[in-house]
Amino acid sequence: MENLILQLKNQIIEVLNLEDMTAEDIDAEAPLFGDGLGLDSIDALELIVLLEREYGIKLSNPAEGKQIFKSIASIADYVSKNRKK
Amino acid sequence: MTTLAHIRITPSETLLNGKVISNSNISGIYREFIGDYPKFFKMDSLCKLGFIAAELILKGQTPEQKENASIILFNRNGSLITDRNYQKTIADDNYFPSPALFVYTLANIVTGEIAIRHKIYGESSFYVLSHQDDEMMLDVVKNAYLTSPPSFILTGWVDYEDEGNYLADIKLVTK
Amino acid sequence: MGRVMITKIADNIISPLGCTSEENFRAVLAGETELKKQEDTFGLPESFCASLFNRDNINKQLDCELGHVDNLTFFEKLCVLSAKKAIEECNLSPRETNVIFILSTTKGNVECLEDSLSDQRCYLAESAIKIAKYFGNNNSPLVVSNACISGVCAQITAIRELLSGKYRYAVVIGGDVLSKFIVSGFQSFKALSPELCKPYDKDRIGLNLGEAVGTMILKAGKPSNEGDWRYVASSIHNDANHISGPSRTGEGSFRVLSDILKDISVDEIGFVNVHGTSTAYNDEMESIALHRVNLDDVPINGLKGYYGHTLGAAGIIETILSMKAIENGVILPTKGFETIGTSYNVNISNQLRNTDKPAFVKILSGFGGSNAGISYQKGGKA
Repeated sequence: MENLILQLKNQIIEVLNLEDMTAEDIDAEAPLFGDGLGLDSIDALELIVLLEREYGIKLSNPAEGKQIFKSIASIADYVSKNRKK
Repeated sequence: MTTLAHIRITPSETLLNGKVISNSNISGIYREFIGDYPKFFKMDSLCKLGFIAAELILKGQTPEQKENASIILFNRNGSLITDRNYQKTIADDNYFPSPALFVYTLANIVTGEIAIRHKIYGESSFYVLSHQDDEMMLDVVKNAYLTSPPSFILTGWVDYEDEGNYLADIKLVTK
Repeated sequence: MGRVMITKIADNIISPLGCTSEENFRAVLAGETELKKQEDTFGLPESFCASLFNRDNINKQLDCELGHVDNLTFFEKLCVLSAKKAIEECNLSPRETNVIFILSTTKGNVECLEDSLSDQRCYLAESAIKIAKYFGNNNSPLVVSNACISGVCAQITAIRELLSGKYRYAVVIGGDVLSKFIVSGFQSFKALSPELCKPYDKDRIGLNLGEAVGTMILKAGKPSNEGDWRYVASSIHNDANHISGPSRTGEGSFRVLSDILKDISVDEIGFVNVHGTSTAYNDEMESIALHRVNLDDVPINGLKGYYGHTLGAAGIIETILSMKAIENGVILPTKGFETIGTSYNVNISNQLRNTDKPAFVKILSGFGGSNAGISYQKGGKA
């Protein structure tokens, strides 16, 4: 799981253009949206693409995203249970 | 029309009101003069260019003045640089359309990014021309006063082809 | 007022519902739509609901009416045909130096990127020049690239050019054709509804896309006839909020409507034709803006249920249809609407209503946080 969390951190930094951030800067439990990293609706959509491209997980309902994308930890949990790649 | 300020940015130099203030590239200018807007890194190249030009030229304008300003920008390439990047994400054999890229496949988004940063609620318009036609651009800008007089207009040419080839030639003008 | 009047002297719509404004109006009046599920279209893995041209049929028609024009793309030919029909309607001499061409489009020939990333046909200004040159017009045309509000912005740009006195006539063309590029993008935004869209409805889940081209020809000068349409007011404002989501307080639309209401009395307004894309946020935002300017009781309607969102064409074709509606004393039904699903109970209906008022307001919003509105009145004094 630790590897997955690190991998996700790096992928998210890249796809969401979180310049000047490294994996060490991101707390796996911290909220990604709202206060935390301050991600927005377009970032949420990009995370959906990330899940499909890297892990073969297709989210049919974007509303599911809210729970899944709460934090890096929650994404890692979801990916480990649902990944097809 | 009176010009209140003028900025010109190319890969080799940045001139503000006729004085060279930097020789950095776009990201370099951001880090040197701005640095407090993480959203900058989500923008495409055209928006980054327009953003830094606006940031430098709007220094000194008050929120009240900015609220009722207009933004009228022009270029030749539209959003082609990002159109091509987006097209790559919809290849038949690697189909993962990117929403973060798609939103920037509209040249007028640069006017939106400037409006958001500076709380400009006036007109935001974008025109695509075949070349930097100063006379036509001036006409369009002067004519804006015929239906909706703004406090001032942030206007000019902002075009990006690649990292060695871009130009922001932007003025703040008023009648 | 003392300034030049701007009059609409001709118009045309080419869409999957017909090739003249009248045909389109009659089709809408009859409740028709070409919005349908599109499977295996444009090489897209996911189906979508859209109103598309039958390319074989329309290409035959284009060849028949324009002759063989090798150097024009499908998109450009549609623009030319629409402009040609409008130009013929008013006997305009398009090659005169007092005529300017203005093109409203969001993506023009973007489908050409499928063939080659360096395809030269993707330069929007080149399309506009080719279209103007077809008619022998050598003035530099203007391309308005302002996302979904382009159609209204193009009219405003035209009106300004005419008010300046530099031109006497403006041929304003608005169009977009769909492609893998455009549809996939909206799909990536999860903005599309797989079913027919439901503007302002409590069960709305997204928009439909559509293809169309429209032309309006505007003239600087008094109306020639009692019932001619003249320009009243317009406005463009940015929300200064987000590049793809509308302001939660409808700030830009509110400012647009406020401006327009300074120049036209509510008593003259038959209806406000809204953007009504059927996304959760757009329709909610518009209802807030309408409420903020106390237009809750004025009839509103939306036309996306007949055409889908036609992008660069929307502002033009929806303005033309609004004119036709007022001419016929009606407010067109909002197809797809059933039960109000916005915070404010605005006056919207899926039934045909009557009006004897002479004016309407058209509003639109788009990516980039931009909002635009325009108002025209039939006949009457300055």
